[in-house]
Amino acid sequence: MAPTKTIKNKHAANKSGIKGSKDAERSRNDGVLKSKGKPKSKTHTLVTANKGRPDIKELIARKQKKRKYSEKELAGLIPELNMVTPVGVSKPKGKKKGKVFVDDKESMATILAIVQAEKEGQIESKMIKARQMEEIREARRVEADKKEAERKARLEETKDSLRKKRKRSKQTGGGKGDDDDARDVKNISSAGTNAFKSKKKKSVSFAAE
Amino acid sequence: MRPLTETEQKTVFEKLANYCTDLKSLIAPLDDGDRYVFRLNHSRVYYVRLSVANLATSVSRDALLSLGTCLGKMTKTGKFRLHITALPILSEHARHKIWVKDNGAQPFLYGSNVVKAHVGRWSEDCPEHSGVVVYSMADIPLGFGVTARSTTEARRLDPTGIVCFRQSDCGEYLRDEDTLFAG
Repeated sequence: MAPTKTIKNKHAANKSGIKGSKDAERSRNDGVLKSKGKPKSKTHTLVTANKGRPDIKELIARKQKKRKYSEKELAGLIPELNMVTPVGVSKPKGKKKGKVFVDDKESMATILAIVQAEKEGQIESKMIKARQMEEIREARRVEADKKEAERKARLEETKDSLRKKRKRSKQTGGGKGDDDDARDVKNISSAGTNAFKSKKKKSVSFAAE
Repeated sequence: MRPLTETEQKTVFEKLANYCTDLKSLIAPLDDGDRYVFRLNHSRVYYVRLSVANLATSVSRDALLSLGTCLGKMTKTGKFRLHITALPILSEHARHKIWVKDNGAQPFLYGSNVVKAHVGRWSEDCPEHSGVVVYSMADIPLGFGVTARSTTEARRLDPTGIVCFRQSDCGEYLRDEDTLFAG
């Protein structure tokens, strides 16, 4: 491993600086320095660092692997904020920035033609609708007038029939009958055709003691 | 100052089409080879000759107060609002017209709606909620509005009933003097 090799360094091995010393011999023999204290701890920390390295890599890899959401997916996942955005202001997503001006004659004419056709259609349909409604109203009014006329005619008819009846009874004679007829006509004229209901007279009687 | 975008141009035309019949004549080429174009400056739409618009490019945006005929204002929500300054153009190509009597001209110019009693005459076959230009009996355009009732319905209306809702009138030249061209 790398850290042990660094310790195996030439200068570190010849720590004592004396040829033939115990240290020098030892280093030559096994190639591994069995030092006490500081160097030991150094190696230990390095080992632990070695252990941690793949974790960082993994973390980085994991970070890189994180799924990236597209605009569409996000729009589905994240609830919309309660914002006040008027319809005219909202801009379509994914569209190129900047304005497209209309200044040439042709494009202006095409827009104008489209708008005018649309408007003409709208106005035409409005007019047709209004005309239809007017026709319906007219028809209803005619019907109501007709009903009114019918009712009046019926009333006139009943009046005529009553008059004829009265004349006939006059021709046959009888004073009492005359009175009755007069009363009938009065009743009908005051209460319409439901005159028979009002014939009964109410009376009050007291019990004898 | 810049030309209008497609959507802006569409909204302007849609609004104008409410009041005018023949829009093509608005952008038709003139005899001298020039033509009229639409320009936007400080959210106001101007109807101006192309040659004049080209000359106006030498004036900075802030310094340019007005040019040509101011048609109206683009609102922040993308709608277009016609100003009284557009009246000469509207009255030239008006789709529907209402003539008010002399006794009705003053109330209209003071900002009230047109009532039936004040109407001298009106164009036939006018549906409700459609744009209409208001004239005096001497054929002088006074303003414009939106019909409250169709012509047939308005016939049955009582004299105090509103026939036309006012949108703009010539009195605005005085009333809105401060905000008409700027602000």
